[in-house]
Amino acid sequence: MPLQGKAAQKPKTPSTDASPSNPLPATAPTAQPAPAITVAERTQQRTDESRPFEAVRRKSGLAALPDEDRAAWYACHFARSLPAKRTRLPPKFQRELWRAVNDAGLPLRPLPRTYSWGIDRSGQDVGRYPTPRFDERFAKRTRLTELVLQSKAFRERRDRLRSGSAEAGDIITDSDIQEERLRRSEMAKLKSELYGVVPEGGFATDPEWDDVLPLPVEEPEGALATISYPAEYATAISYLRAVMANKEYSARSLRLTETIIDMNPAHYTVWLYRASILLAMALPIPAELAWLNAVALEHLKNYQIWHHRHLLIDQHHPTLASDPAAAAALAASERDFLAQILAHDTKNYHVWSYRSYLVAKLNLFADPAELRAVDVLIDDDVRNNSAWSHRFFLVFSDPAASTPGAHATEHDPAVPQATVDREVAYAQEKIALAPQNQSPWNYLRGVLVKGGRELASVEGFAEGFVTGLEGKSGGKEDVRSTHALDLLAEIYAEKGDRERADLCLRRLGEKWDRIRVGYWEWRRKCLEV
Amino acid sequence: MRQRIKAAKRRARAVFRPRAAKMASNPTNTTTTTITNPGPPEAESEIDEEFVTESITYPRFMIPNLFTGPSPVVDVLETHTSNLQQETVKVCLPFLSAEDEKTKYNIHGVPNLYRKSHITFLRRSIGPMPAGFITADASRPWFLYWALTGLSIMGDDVSDLRQAVVDTARSMQNESGGFGGGGGQRSHLATTYAVVLSLAMVGGEEAFEVIDRRALWKWLSRLKQPDGGFQVCVGGEEDIRGAYTASVVITLLNLPLDLTQESPAYEADGSMNLLSGVPDYVRRCQTYEGGISGQPDSEAHGAYAFCALACLALLDDPRRIIPKYLDLPRLISWLSSRQYAPEAGFSGRTNKLVDGCYSHWVGGCFPLIEACLRPLDDSPPPAGDDATTPNPPRKPRLPPASESLFNREGLIRYILCCCQDQSRRGGLRDKPGKMSDSYHTCYVLSGLSSAQHQWDLTAPAPTLAAGAGDPVWTVLPYVDDGGVQVYEQEDLVRPIHPVYAIPQRSQEGMREYFLGKEGF
Ligand SMILES: [Zn+2]
Repeated sequence: MPLQGKAAQKPKTPSTDASPSNPLPATAPTAQPAPAITVAERTQQRTDESRPFEAVRRKSGLAALPDEDRAAWYACHFARSLPAKRTRLPPKFQRELWRAVNDAGLPLRPLPRTYSWGIDRSGQDVGRYPTPRFDERFAKRTRLTELVLQSKAFRERRDRLRSGSAEAGDIITDSDIQEERLRRSEMAKLKSELYGVVPEGGFATDPEWDDVLPLPVEEPEGALATISYPAEYATAISYLRAVMANKEYSARSLRLTETIIDMNPAHYTVWLYRASILLAMALPIPAELAWLNAVALEHLKNYQIWHHRHLLIDQHHPTLASDPAAAAALAASERDFLAQILAHDTKNYHVWSYRSYLVAKLNLFADPAELRAVDVLIDDDVRNNSAWSHRFFLVFSDPAASTPGAHATEHDPAVPQATVDREVAYAQEKIALAPQNQSPWNYLRGVLVKGGRELASVEGFAEGFVTGLEGKSGGKEDVRSTHALDLLAEIYAEKGDRERADLCLRRLGEKWDRIRVGYWEWRRKCLEV
Repeated sequence: MRQRIKAAKRRARAVFRPRAAKMASNPTNTTTTTITNPGPPEAESEIDEEFVTESITYPRFMIPNLFTGPSPVVDVLETHTSNLQQETVKVCLPFLSAEDEKTKYNIHGVPNLYRKSHITFLRRSIGPMPAGFITADASRPWFLYWALTGLSIMGDDVSDLRQAVVDTARSMQNESGGFGGGGGQRSHLATTYAVVLSLAMVGGEEAFEVIDRRALWKWLSRLKQPDGGFQVCVGGEEDIRGAYTASVVITLLNLPLDLTQESPAYEADGSMNLLSGVPDYVRRCQTYEGGISGQPDSEAHGAYAFCALACLALLDDPRRIIPKYLDLPRLISWLSSRQYAPEAGFSGRTNKLVDGCYSHWVGGCFPLIEACLRPLDDSPPPAGDDATTPNPPRKPRLPPASESLFNREGLIRYILCCCQDQSRRGGLRDKPGKMSDSYHTCYVLSGLSSAQHQWDLTAPAPTLAAGAGDPVWTVLPYVDDGGVQVYEQEDLVRPIHPVYAIPQRSQEGMREYFLGKEGF
């Protein structure tokens, strides 16, 4: 026990140095104690210093002390017990006693023998801190107390202003708010360092959110598929619920939606709420679109973004009615953005769905730039079926050149024949590049039906991909496109040549497209009807 | 994992051997053709397979070469799409060719269904999830539905989950009607569908009584649009999922069809109700390709094909309503085009890749299609007396399919060979190389169930009070007269309802309960 060893040197100090000019020798020792390593050690030193004879007394009893020291000890001990005994002493005796105590220079109230410094956020005994670290901690606590008091003053001032009971000088300026915000982030930092309190995503530290009582989500006991939400997310959601319940449409609630979208863009509720905020506050739509572009590029798979965009355009569109230049600019910027997003995934379903909505909304059917944009994608990958589908929509749903509500797989007399010619040629040109690519074949068939053409009008074209079917024309059977063979079966059936149609279907099932044999067999049965 | 990569590499070389290519295009008897064995491993590691002209061939498994070699017609032109397609074929072939030495195959080169590990996977999927799952925060009800459906298909009793499902469902219900993704989230049709079906699967009065039907009916009225469709949530998008999920909820819970005055579709003369115009909306989603898009004017997509067909089948006898509103020959052509060789799974769109979940979305269309091709005369539906009774069909009647319209053997092979996570993780997946998840586990199993069963429609039994007027679905395991059964009998899974996508018993239990209720 090194502490006791050191303490044992102490008794000499008060006895030798005790003099009227140096009345408190115990607290101003001349001999340097060994430097304290930890807080607890320092405490022990001080405890020992306040009980100079303790070690000797414990070890060897009072008898071991020199007479003078023993008398001093008795005097102190007696003086300490006076309040408890409630004894009234004669004045002379009292004087004598206090003189003896003073002369001995012993502390009247020694430090307690054991002292706990508590446990820090990581479960460590603070007593074991090296002293510089402890002093730092102490400084932080002092600073925190100071900040808490300042913050309290701020809140009280603001509450007085809010409740209309302001006193003279109660004003809050923007810089006060800024100061308070800094103060709170410092407080949060200190709390986190000192006590391990996790910062609450900025809400608890933001004076703007003081008046909101968060509504935490409570899961019933034993709930299934629960998620252990990160604290930041859980806090943000609890504030979201609170502001939604109040139907609050404000700058801060808009910022809150952004925070949550950033963490979980699939949270459809927050998107809908964001849209209501924008509408209620009549915020500028172009700014929101710009913000959304960045979010979309960051969350490529998310589709709530696209419905949100749809709502924004719905909202923005009426303001463009009288301004064709602005409408054209919007169309162009949207097209640029779509090109950018499709570069990441050329078949993103939600992007293409949005695109067809946009075309209808801004009436871009006949806009050559739109058709060109789709052409670029088909040139880039002739198998991009999403691009083919969009082209079909552009060409055959243009209200200026189609019957509204005409079914996709039915003849529409309103479609100009020149358009049909153009589209047939386009599809044929692309089929030639890769004949087994189903996209342009489906397109070609769709165009023929829309245009009211007989499928037989492309008989020669389709036959170009099939040679020597089952020994016909003497050559070896070769099929460069099962889709050509499929179409030929229909063409022959249309012309009443059931036998040839049947042959095409049979060969598909037997050799060229065996996985679909059940379907081809059914098609053969259809020929018998 | 290492083993799998090794196998894939090995096969990739074997595939492009001239000999393998020749065999693949050779139209011999598909049920007995054997695969080329890549030969002893030592020799293989030394020699570049491209230059091997001879290899030892012996029958090991009975795998038709349709599934072990490239398709006979492949274009030369390379694009992003064709490169992805080739990569996928390359990744799937070793699995389809039964090349993994650690896997136990049957004589057809097909592994067992790892039922136990899939059950463990699904049961774990509804336990607590780590923080990384916050993006699933809005779809927690789906986790319930996927797990319960998958477990039911595998014959795992889910009644032990009743109380937990009931409590969880309650916490997701909003006072203004419907269920959201979790506490504090707005009601959404997708999550409402998932919760209602989950409650049906655990069953029992307490579960059924969780649902505030009056509030739900009011909320559905707000979602109903004048064009016949539904928004998925108030202020949300309108699409065919909305039409399907709303129709399921309305019929299953026997909700009144009148619209409240708050409905955007409300007409003072009462000409509109909750289900008016739904078939027309579905029709507008059919595209020039024959498939169905999510909303009018988009691209045909497998998931929406199922929504469209199942939605129509809820509104009337599918044999009547499907040919009436859709161009059936084009639709069948498009659906059939979704199955590719050699992978044998379904893709979701033209020129997209196969993916296990389309085993349900596309595979699940075939029971409805096959049923509606069978003549009405065999089993006449109840005499229709409503105004929606269709006119005599304009087009000639289509013949019933004498054999399956899709390749059941192929789909079963894709599912059992390519979609199972064979590690201890369990679960089913999109394709080899992807992680299993509960969404794919549910829908791949559902596709397996479709491939193993045959559904039929009959007129309702006259004594059946519940659902009188509904055509009755009956089911038997599918038997291929001319072919073989490539899966083991122990791997036959349970049927699930072709329209409601839950066990038939669960659907009947819930519907009967609410048919027996007067008012709310
Ligand atoms: Zn998938």
